[in-house]
Amino acid sequence: MSDTHPSAVRPRAGMSRRQAWVTAAMAVVILIPSMYGFVGKFLEFVHIYRGASGGEFAVAPILNYLLASAGFFCMLLWAAWNGMFRDIEQPKIDFLENERLLDRDTRP
Amino acid sequence: MTSRSQTAAAVHDRPAHGDLVDERIILCYYVAALTFLTVSMLAGILMALQLVHWNPLNGVELLSPGRWRMIHTNAVAYGFLANAFLGTLHWAVPRLTFHKVASRPLSWFIFVAWQAIVGLTAIGIIVGPTFQDQPWLLDLAKQWRLPMNLGAQGLEWGETPFWIDPVALLGLALVAVNFMVPIGRSKGPMYVSLWYFMAAFVWTFLTYAMGNLLPEYAVAGTSAGAIGGLFIHDLVGLFVTPLGWGLMYYFVPILLKRPIWSHGLSLVGFWGLAFFYPLQGIHHFLYTPIPMFLQYGAVISTIAVELVVATVVINFFGTLGKKGSEFFTNLPIRYFYTGMVFYFITCFQCALQVTLTFQKLIHFTDWVVGHAHLVMFGVFSLWLFGIMTYLFPRLLGRPWYSRTLCEYHYWLSSVGLFVMFLDLTLAGVFQGWYWASLQPWDASTDGSQPFWITRVFAGLTMFAGLLCFLFNLWMTWRGAEAAERSTSQFAAAAT
Repeated sequence: MSDTHPSAVRPRAGMSRRQAWVTAAMAVVILIPSMYGFVGKFLEFVHIYRGASGGEFAVAPILNYLLASAGFFCMLLWAAWNGMFRDIEQPKIDFLENERLLDRDTRP
Repeated sequence: MTSRSQTAAAVHDRPAHGDLVDERIILCYYVAALTFLTVSMLAGILMALQLVHWNPLNGVELLSPGRWRMIHTNAVAYGFLANAFLGTLHWAVPRLTFHKVASRPLSWFIFVAWQAIVGLTAIGIIVGPTFQDQPWLLDLAKQWRLPMNLGAQGLEWGETPFWIDPVALLGLALVAVNFMVPIGRSKGPMYVSLWYFMAAFVWTFLTYAMGNLLPEYAVAGTSAGAIGGLFIHDLVGLFVTPLGWGLMYYFVPILLKRPIWSHGLSLVGFWGLAFFYPLQGIHHFLYTPIPMFLQYGAVISTIAVELVVATVVINFFGTLGKKGSEFFTNLPIRYFYTGMVFYFITCFQCALQVTLTFQKLIHFTDWVVGHAHLVMFGVFSLWLFGIMTYLFPRLLGRPWYSRTLCEYHYWLSSVGLFVMFLDLTLAGVFQGWYWASLQPWDASTDGSQPFWITRVFAGLTMFAGLLCFLFNLWMTWRGAEAAERSTSQFAAAAT
């Protein structure tokens, strides 16, 4: 393969119908409940903040989760905004091709 | 849009492997990792011998079982796993991004500093409790208002003495900088491994800070317990899991010479881990005064993580597809997929054991010990053995001295671990029933003896596997003539 511009000659990655269905189904089953978990924790935090029973000592683990998750939620939005999930299957092809190019230099 | 690695490759004068990867530091990390693993396994064997009343170091205060146990866990987590992961990252990250690490001198500084941290932790654990009541030390502590636990911190998996914590945190921050720079320099959609690595760099730093600093200086009582629970589990889920899976997504397609089944599905798994995992830790403290909504939240999210695990398992077995024969002929692949099966078992076990009903029976029993060994050795150590089996010949520039010894390493490690897991799981059930029937404590320890004796032999089997690996590595390193002609794919791939 030439080194000039790989995108012109590299195979394009498509997603089969089965892959698309499995991915979509798992996304719905996983990401929606995790968002529900995030909102739930946030509500619990508000609840405790307002002095409900449960104890202030629960604030530490809840804050911990909220901070970690909020960071990743922002990162998810940033990634989507910057097109990280467009052409979603292509990186797996490019990565293998790059590995092949790197090994071509080192192996007989 | 082109991917970030593709963009780099498009540059005509793309860097060569030799420009990107510093192979000497990888070798050094692996040697350090295997040294700490040897220490850790010896400590484990000593603990096993203690339980069958045959402790060869009986009466030696500095080498008492309580201290050896902490050496066992710390050496495997921070000595073996961390070193092996760091070494492998020096191979994977530059090759994935087409950029060198931020600074090679910094890499060497981190390497030396990390060995010092792990070594000092061991020294602190061993001599700290003995020396901390010396008058001059008491005066010093009073003068500087220091906590008096010069030895281990009273925190499971966070036993690193308090005076090492700031140095360890600095080391983790430098690791993050060193690897995030090449990731940040590349453009476009990232391959899933890089997502996992990035998350691990951030999570590990935050997890370590949370688990080691908050209970020591900021929170106390039940709240500290809750933080401790989060720390224990996040150390597994947010440090070793993302690094382990990231490396599997890197090495499996390379060795199978085919792309991962679904990159989209792998990203779903990654984001699922990101949002579900930090909720879980409190499942270590069920039936405690921690508010029940937190306990229930931990139970539900732990069960939900099974869905995340399902995405990974579907993806990797989809990738293997019709290349199932590789499992038998390609040794690194066999290590990887054996670890994945163990991973599925351990996560399935997790979903059961976090229920309140199940906890009644198995809490504080050897079931938990079996579970921990299945995760740390059966999954992550096997994966790292597979990676080392693949990379050592490439790093040393020659095939393995003996494929037979490589096979022995695999079988002794896998079978020994599986026997230990089954044995301790069963022991846990028996112990739980002994306690539930309100018999004297001695009845449960006497009844555990057959299981503990079996554990000694299982541990010795695993250790024999490690010795095979070390001998094979020694002979390979010094360039001994290969013991047999190898036609295996793992050897072929390595030459």
